[in-house]
Amino acid sequence: MRSTALLVLAASLACRGGGDASGDRRTLVDSRDNEDPRSLDPALSTDVPTGRAVAYVFDGLTRFTPDARLEPGLAERWDVSPDGLMYTFHLRQGVKFHDGTPFAARHVVHSFRRALDPASLGGRPTPLLPIKGASDFNTKRATDVAGVVARDDSTVVVTLGEPLAFFPKLLAMPVAAIVPDSTAKDFGLHPVGTGPWKFVEWQHDDFLRFAANQSYWGGAPRFDSLVARIIPEKSTAVAEFESGNVDVLLVPEADTPEWEQTDERKGLLQSAPALRFVHVAINTTRGPLAKREVRQAINHAVDVGSVLRQLFGSRGRRAAGVIPPILEGADTTRQPYAFDPARARQLLAQAGYPNGIDIELWVSPVYVRLAQTIQGYLSQSNIRAKLVQRDAPSVREAARKGETDMSVRDWYADYPDAENFLYPLLYSANKGVGGNYSFYANPEFDRRVASARREQNDTLRARLYREADALAFTDAPMLYLFFYNELYAVQPWVRNFQVPVIFNGQRWLGVELRNRGGR
Amino acid sequence: MISFILRRLLLAVPTLFGVLVVAFILLFIAPGDPVQEMVGERADAATIERLRRELRLDEPLHVQFASYASGVIRGDLGRSYITGRPILRDILERFPKTLLLASAAMILASITGIAIGILSARRPGGWFDRTALAVAYLGISFPVYWVGLILILFFAVILRWLPPSGYGRPEFLILPALTLGSRSIAFLARVTRSSMLDALSGDYVRTARAKGLRERVVTVRHALRNALIPIITVLGLDFGYYLTGSILTETIFSWPGLGRYVVNAIARRDLPAIQGSVLFLSVVFVLVNLLTDLAYAKADPRVAYD
Repeated sequence: MRSTALLVLAASLACRGGGDASGDRRTLVDSRDNEDPRSLDPALSTDVPTGRAVAYVFDGLTRFTPDARLEPGLAERWDVSPDGLMYTFHLRQGVKFHDGTPFAARHVVHSFRRALDPASLGGRPTPLLPIKGASDFNTKRATDVAGVVARDDSTVVVTLGEPLAFFPKLLAMPVAAIVPDSTAKDFGLHPVGTGPWKFVEWQHDDFLRFAANQSYWGGAPRFDSLVARIIPEKSTAVAEFESGNVDVLLVPEADTPEWEQTDERKGLLQSAPALRFVHVAINTTRGPLAKREVRQAINHAVDVGSVLRQLFGSRGRRAAGVIPPILEGADTTRQPYAFDPARARQLLAQAGYPNGIDIELWVSPVYVRLAQTIQGYLSQSNIRAKLVQRDAPSVREAARKGETDMSVRDWYADYPDAENFLYPLLYSANKGVGGNYSFYANPEFDRRVASARREQNDTLRARLYREADALAFTDAPMLYLFFYNELYAVQPWVRNFQVPVIFNGQRWLGVELRNRGGR
Repeated sequence: MISFILRRLLLAVPTLFGVLVVAFILLFIAPGDPVQEMVGERADAATIERLRRELRLDEPLHVQFASYASGVIRGDLGRSYITGRPILRDILERFPKTLLLASAAMILASITGIAIGILSARRPGGWFDRTALAVAYLGISFPVYWVGLILILFFAVILRWLPPSGYGRPEFLILPALTLGSRSIAFLARVTRSSMLDALSGDYVRTARAKGLRERVVTVRHALRNALIPIITVLGLDFGYYLTGSILTETIFSWPGLGRYVVNAIARRDLPAIQGSVLFLSVVFVLVNLLTDLAYAKADPRVAYD
């Protein structure tokens, strides 16, 4: 037994090593991924690590900047027909895939078709479903996607089933990334795209390595290689950063005060409001929670400001609606529910519950302390919440089936548009699996969100969003908590870094590494 | 001997079948929907329904089990719901890394633990014995998680002698092996000590000393040999656990082994990956137990298998 062990040990000594911290800095090491990407195939992208990697290797017709603005990608520009149904994308010329194949319009048609193909098991083609005929193709009722046509080598015309004003934003999502004509069976392990970084190596659960695409159409990256380490434990990532082995760190919430109050560390911090909304969904169909006063009482019962300060190092902004303040449609003048236990008890009495109510609050391990704190506040207003602790998939399943009174939830945007908050979280057709864990249904709200989705005029659309958000806010289908602030620590030798507020908004373009020193 | 091994392997088959059945049923009862985890946070009911059909999750449990079991017999553990990759390949890619870590921890633990145990047993109640006892209790009491983080803080962040985490050159192995082995060191030291005390009070030890043998020869050749059986038991059990359950250590040190694979599979409700790993780890456990039994015979000729 021992001799085998020694053999294995000896064999591993011959193995290669991880990142090297010496010499010129030509490699940037990222520590944000905490789990292995599912696959590097855009068609299979549903998780954050995959989304990040797809943004490195591939381009979409459009893309997001780190601060979540939409900008042209492989499409140089696009025109929309007056009825909002037809998008004509004018493609960038002279772009080549990493294998040398010139990019052309047929690749767009092929890529969308591939992502929608029912045979690509387990993907999430939702962003492409608004295309005319996409749903039929995806469910095998049609043999092709009617709505995507290559007019010539440099023009693609996309027709939608019905108008969708923010459709170009959906095309910046990983699943809509453009892939070459022929993709090998193990494309997810050996991806080829047109993106700023070429795929080099993937050691599962360990790291991914990419090399700069020197002929990138948007200008080559300014350092040679990019390593995305996969570090599941936050404290370990912090140790790696402090040892100088990784260049970029997501500062854990619990460590925030420590970092913000240490002089030498403070200078390394960069923060930005993320498109991320922490809240507690309230199922509006269950028992006493069906009454609006009860839901409002819950909102008045919790001192969200203190929660944010005590548990999250003040990393966030109190929510008075579901639209993050940096998006069009957010009403930054709207006041959050005030912390007022007396008012909460009064509302409960009005609703016919002078002796309070008993409810269940479901939570997954990450947010247990938050849930306990909320439980404490609620009990002061005679709202007796029983905590139900389960792992995340179990909480999700129960909430989707409508079996939870309340469930703690952390919502990340897929695309930077108010619709991505209003529609999945509160639109009546999305009850349950669609994302509406509140089972909220308000025809007035629905009407506004539905017309906003079609509205081409940005100002009018923002107004519809604002009105819908205000309606829901009064109905209180959730305990509004806060919009999260990302806090990054970045090594002093990394220049021009910009905090990405959306998961696939960071391509490291323009970021520079200065040679050693400074620390 | 050969027939003993064959018989044991044959007996393992019903055990493994039992594991397969229990794992299958448990996962079926457990909350959390694999299809919903596949499609991610946002999904539509139609897609979920289609996937459920295509993965044949809508079929009765016994039909699902039969098709899974027939795959297993053919050596096919299926493909991951999440990554689409073959489970067996994923497992075989990670297992050597877990084996490496477990072996290193075991070697470290057995050398240190047995040495401490012997030294303690030579002068029971002496200063070394008492210090070792105290340290051993501390070693057993500290949670792995805490030990790991303290080691990282001290050796990687403060002293900068070793890398905090990762996989690769030998220096990456030291801290995780120490963390994983720390419990065994303490436990082995205790077991070795008491077993040695027993052995040292034997008549043959008195005879050996009377013959004028040097104390080192008496301790190592005569007493230790007779004290080995309990030590091997502990070694075998611990090694089995390390191969199957070093989840915490692998997580803290970003070690790309099987433990993390299993945890991820559970977190994502990747049924084939969970079932495949459980089965694979059971096979490993059975084999380690068999090796332990064989080691008994090697250590003590009075133990004979036929």
